[in-house]
Amino acid sequence: MKTDCKTVKNSLGAWLDGELSASETERIRMHVEGCPSCSGEKEQWERLQVSLRGVLEGEASGVAFEPFWDGVSRRIFAERPWYARLWDWAGLAFVPQRLAWAIPLVIVALLAMFSLDQFFAGWHWGSNRGNGSAVDSIDGHGFNVAVFRESKTKTTVIWLFENQEDEDESSGEPASAESSF
Amino acid sequence: MELSDWELVQRCQEGDAAAFQGLVARYYRKVFMVVLGILNHREDAMEVAQEAFFRAYRNIKGFKGGSAFYTWLYRIAVNLSIDFQRRQKRTPTEFRETMDELIDKREGAEFAKDPYVDFQGKELEQRLFAAINELTPDHKAVIVMRAIEGLSYKDIGRILGCSEGTVMSRLHYARKKLQEKLGPYL
Repeated sequence: MKTDCKTVKNSLGAWLDGELSASETERIRMHVEGCPSCSGEKEQWERLQVSLRGVLEGEASGVAFEPFWDGVSRRIFAERPWYARLWDWAGLAFVPQRLAWAIPLVIVALLAMFSLDQFFAGWHWGSNRGNGSAVDSIDGHGFNVAVFRESKTKTTVIWLFENQEDEDESSGEPASAESSF
Repeated sequence: MELSDWELVQRCQEGDAAAFQGLVARYYRKVFMVVLGILNHREDAMEVAQEAFFRAYRNIKGFKGGSAFYTWLYRIAVNLSIDFQRRQKRTPTEFRETMDELIDKREGAEFAKDPYVDFQGKELEQRLFAAINELTPDHKAVIVMRAIEGLSYKDIGRILGCSEGTVMSRLHYARKKLQEKLGPYL
């Protein structure tokens, strides 16, 4: 099949770029070799490509790495709002490979939280806080007492008599003593 | 042994900033060339290329390796350049001044010693930049990526989010336009 110049010129770029099938490549090559007009155009396109690359490479060769990297790292570490920095930090910290520390940390935090009442008198955790119903175990006047604080104004007290005889002997107070609350 | 792009990316994803620096060192010139080809302005190209790497760093956790790292990086750089150019359209006078400055800075460094060849080279360079500047950002992007990196139509299509056929027709159009403008100098 004879290939005309118009068809070849339309495919010249794709041919030079190596984007045509083997058969098309061969067809264009044979035409270009025997056609001064298409051959001249091919050379022009090649020079255009080389000139463009040469100009841009010449420019890029003058760009040193250090100042370029400075510009990039300045952006990376620029002073940004705290929440943006926190987000960036979290993005890097909470990757699966780095989450190994999180499990023991959570366990330690929970243990510390539930042990605080051992160290600080009056510290309450969980349901003991606020106005909800609560139970306290205290030693008031030698008795074991359970106190239910249902609200700011309503408190129910229950005396617990575990060892009735010992309690009576040691305190000398009646088991049914009135609440001082 | 030199690490592959993907290995460096994985290290970045684990928070290794030095690995990212390695990626920047590997690609900064190429990214700069692509951006310069689209913007035709050295300072703007520098800013946009640096911003492209910053965006890549910020989003590197989202890169899953489905495509080559450089196509992902070029996509960021090309999209930023196109957006930047659409926002800051320069006047022809501004453009000519910028290009003249740019070429004058390199006077004597790149061209042959023969004054005639030197003159011809500078003339071609100036006209080349001027001709490129008349193309649309999409046409600039295809011709620059093909010229610099020799990227396949498939890769260029991936970067620009268009088909190989569109890349081929944009390249053909862009080359024809440049040929018309630069014919006597080629």
